[in-house]
Amino acid sequence: MADLFEDYRLGPGWDEMFAEPAVPRPSYETLYATLQALSSADLGLRSEVLQRAFLDQGITFALKGVERPFPLDIVPRVITAAEWAHVEAGVAQRIQALEMFLADVYGPATVLSDGIVPRRVVVTSAHFHREAAGINPANGVRIHVAGVDLIRDEQGAFRVLEDNVRTPSGVSYVIENRRAISHVLPEVLASTRIRPVDSYPAQLLAALRAAAPAGVSDPTVVVLTPGVHNSAYFEHTLLAREMGVELVEGRDLLCAANEVSMRTTAGEKRVDVIYRRIDDDFLDPVHFRADSMIGVAGLLNAARCGKVTIANAVGNGVADDKLLYTYVPDLIRYYLAQEPILPNVTAYRLEDNPDVLEYALGRMDSLVFKPVDGSGGAGIVIGSRASEEVLEKLRARITVDPRGWIAQEEVALSMVPTLIGNRLRGRHVDLRPFAVNDGVAVKVLPGGLTRVALPEGELVVNSSQGGGSKDTWVLAEATDPSEPSPQHPRGAAIPQPRKPDPGPGTGEVVAQQQQQQQQTVGEAPC
Amino acid sequence: MLSRIAESLYWIGRYAERAEGTARILDVHVHGMLQDPWVDQEEACRSLLKVMGVTTDATQVSTLQVVSLLGLEQASPSSVVGALAAARENARGARETISTEMWECLNATWLGLPAARIRIEQQGMHAFFGWVRERCSLLNGLTEATMSRDDGWLFLMLGRSIERADMTARLLSTHADAGGSIQSWLSLLRSCGAWETFLRTYRGALTDRHAAEFLLLDRLFPRSAFAALSAAESCLDELEQATGPRAGVATDAHRIIGRARTDLEFRGVDELLSNLSSVLSTVERACSRANTAITGRYFRATAAVTWAVA
Amino acid sequence: MNQGWRMRITHRTWFQYDGKAATSYNEARMSPRSEGRQSVLDARVEIQPAAWLYKYEDYWGSVVTAFDLQEAHESLTVVASALVETMPSAPVTPDGPSWNDLENEDRWHEYLLPTPRTALDEELTALALEIKGAHDGPQAAALAACELVQSEVEYQPGSTGVQTDAVHAWRQRSGVCQDISHLVVGLLRGMGTPAKYVSGYMHPHPDGPVGEDVAGQSHAWVEWWSGTGWTGYDPTNGAPIQPRHVAVGRGREYGDVPPLKGVYSGPPSANQGVEVRITRLR
Repeated sequence: MADLFEDYRLGPGWDEMFAEPAVPRPSYETLYATLQALSSADLGLRSEVLQRAFLDQGITFALKGVERPFPLDIVPRVITAAEWAHVEAGVAQRIQALEMFLADVYGPATVLSDGIVPRRVVVTSAHFHREAAGINPANGVRIHVAGVDLIRDEQGAFRVLEDNVRTPSGVSYVIENRRAISHVLPEVLASTRIRPVDSYPAQLLAALRAAAPAGVSDPTVVVLTPGVHNSAYFEHTLLAREMGVELVEGRDLLCAANEVSMRTTAGEKRVDVIYRRIDDDFLDPVHFRADSMIGVAGLLNAARCGKVTIANAVGNGVADDKLLYTYVPDLIRYYLAQEPILPNVTAYRLEDNPDVLEYALGRMDSLVFKPVDGSGGAGIVIGSRASEEVLEKLRARITVDPRGWIAQEEVALSMVPTLIGNRLRGRHVDLRPFAVNDGVAVKVLPGGLTRVALPEGELVVNSSQGGGSKDTWVLAEATDPSEPSPQHPRGAAIPQPRKPDPGPGTGEVVAQQQQQQQQTVGEAPC
Repeated sequence: MLSRIAESLYWIGRYAERAEGTARILDVHVHGMLQDPWVDQEEACRSLLKVMGVTTDATQVSTLQVVSLLGLEQASPSSVVGALAAARENARGARETISTEMWECLNATWLGLPAARIRIEQQGMHAFFGWVRERCSLLNGLTEATMSRDDGWLFLMLGRSIERADMTARLLSTHADAGGSIQSWLSLLRSCGAWETFLRTYRGALTDRHAAEFLLLDRLFPRSAFAALSAAESCLDELEQATGPRAGVATDAHRIIGRARTDLEFRGVDELLSNLSSVLSTVERACSRANTAITGRYFRATAAVTWAVA
Repeated sequence: MNQGWRMRITHRTWFQYDGKAATSYNEARMSPRSEGRQSVLDARVEIQPAAWLYKYEDYWGSVVTAFDLQEAHESLTVVASALVETMPSAPVTPDGPSWNDLENEDRWHEYLLPTPRTALDEELTALALEIKGAHDGPQAAALAACELVQSEVEYQPGSTGVQTDAVHAWRQRSGVCQDISHLVVGLLRGMGTPAKYVSGYMHPHPDGPVGEDVAGQSHAWVEWWSGTGWTGYDPTNGAPIQPRHVAVGRGREYGDVPPLKGVYSGPPSANQGVEVRITRLR
């Protein structure tokens, strides 16, 4: 039954499943074949099971104070091994360059004196925390976890939309989406070789342990959460649970003489590494907001003194500022002497010179404007969709504060079929791969979070803007030696399993047991 | 383990037990009202509210009001619905410590509360109370099956045991208040799920003496006040095992519970029966004092600090 | 003849709480460092009740002494003492590089940006541009700005607090050294001259008598970049930096170099005070 794809239209933008109508790309053939065989009622039913499972497990995020599930679309997105290799290398390269940049700006700042990045870009960044200068992380890592937002342009090429090196969230959905989809689409999973994503917590824990202060051989790692009311609380619990570490709130921690400990029922216990999911501004009331009730007083100096590692490091925001984004290709050339593997989306710095500003303001209807300090899709204006009135207001704001904005060329994001009502329709997607840096290598989790904009034609795919997500399948190479299948080593003898013991009255074996019992009874007491 | 998490586990234990206990009590109460056409409804309802520690300014109290106050009042952690919500809220803050299955059970129960109200309208109270008992039993089973017997387990069991002793004491108070008829012993034993066991133990002889002995002192029936206090005691003992003292016991909480337990254990049934009300209020007070002592000993300083700028 | 001074400075700060404070976390920026015209022979910070001290150098180059108190306490006293030798600075003249030498100076961009206490309003911005237009170079304009502020704003202890900003002080035409320095820093930045706020101590007498223990004070002054180097100047006294000045910290404004800042949990402080004693030894 082909009714699911009835009236399916390609474009605008690169369609990831179809090269032309009804002809799927090779990577999508199995999925397409499975979906085709399903009626819309079947798929709808499975989709309902999916949403229900998420709600019961409490896989939710809080939007405007209400807990709601993050809608998971039932149709996965498929990425080929070759495409992924490219993304992986590009993301790792970018994180390496940003690591070096952070070590530099909070240290010797040669990138500034060499004129690669103007000092004004750094010193005017709201996230350049001078309090972090002089904090030297134990293994040199500041970006323990990163999420790099990618999109595919009209030609299908991956481009970087923005970097997230503060406290990127969403990895829990990558893990949970896979679990959920494997329950509702077992037949496709079984016939496709997909790289697993459940090793992430172990990888993260290894990276956090590697970041422990010098001389600590068996470090205590904790996850620091703002509390149950945080929108990503579910993720904090998932990571703590799967890493097997404590999930603490600020009030559970105590900092005395630069040593951090947690309050336990058996007294205070030293903490060595804190994977914190609290923003810099709320982390330490001594240095940042004194009214913060979720932070830990004295934490920053404990880190400065080398007694505890804060992951991600304080002040990383200077590296994912949207204005700095425009310099990242230059940073890659400067620090690594390499060409960027993943290009940026063409962007304009409005504060650079009046000509650029004039140019951008002259064609506002074909550009996307982003506030440089914003996150989560807030404040973005898509010129082609905005009313004349909105654009006029924006023009006034940008003219006053050109440092506060960048402009990007509008890109028609790639599309993947998505269950809308009882039909499949093309919807725009982006991709956030997650990278973990353990100080030796930057490892990129094969998959990442695909966010999908559910309203037709919508280009902003952020979860705080009412988007959904998709499970993201990275296909394994035909022979991938890095992930051996869990088979028993050849030649090892596996003992024949025994039958489970039967209950009374089911035959032969029982008779024997009864006999034994009688024998026991019959023995003379000694 | 983290003091805050220990506190949450303790309260999950207490709230879940409270929801179940209250549901059992209400079920019996409603049933009794229907069964006995001569009972003074007003009086019975007031007595139940008093025993459960709920005050009301209403001049007339009906069974419906009692059910709504003790069963469905969302804002009150003493009601069935409120206790279930509070248990879930505590679990939410301790999600990485309890098993996924326990969390899902509590969360699904919480999500099912609105539907449960509809069930009351369609199928009556009994179906609702049955559902609550079932969900609590499911939680207890999952806890039993999936939780390591570490300190977390001990705190959860401690909370459950203390609440259970308190609930049983309250349950017996309803009996004492209602004048102590044989009929009310019957419903009391039923509400504890103890009727069949009781019959087997005493071969069907339902007397004041037997019933009181069973619910207060039985060593084997887990809901007897004695068994619940003993369970709490052994949790407290195990918590301090590593650093146990050479003489006496290590904590105030242990002392309080131990005394309450021996107070029951070494008094004869006749003595207990002749003075039932004061015996019961001693047990209730001991639970509340133990709660304070446990909080002081294990859960200190878990509140957030407000900083002033020097 | 040696024109230098040797001074002993004792800076005492205390808080008396209305009851017991439970815990307290603080940072003191009270220790001068050896630099161009001063050398520090000894500098120490002592806390009562006793606390474990941790010293580090912050982004602005200040020496920070951090400490925390975990035991309940009714009062807190911080005593910073230093033994410092100072030299006079070179005379400040209106001559110097032209405005062109300041252009495209990305290096000192941080000292060109307005901060909460140094931001200007329209009136002051216009004033800054007017002063700039009337002088050939940043050095002459800076001196003119100092002169203007000194003549317009009356030095009046107690007329402002540590949170007061430049605009407020200008409008009320009165303030203390901190406000006058913020105003000058703001005006200098307004005309495109990078400017720093300097905190430190000053002996009250230009020719301080040797061996006499006198009440001194925390003081503030400014430094500006004129194209070739930093020039220090004390706009409150309308004079260059003298041997009686001891610098402790430099930043964009007071907020970067507060002598003592911290948080504590407990009742409000009922009584607090600061006392600076200076003895010229040589």
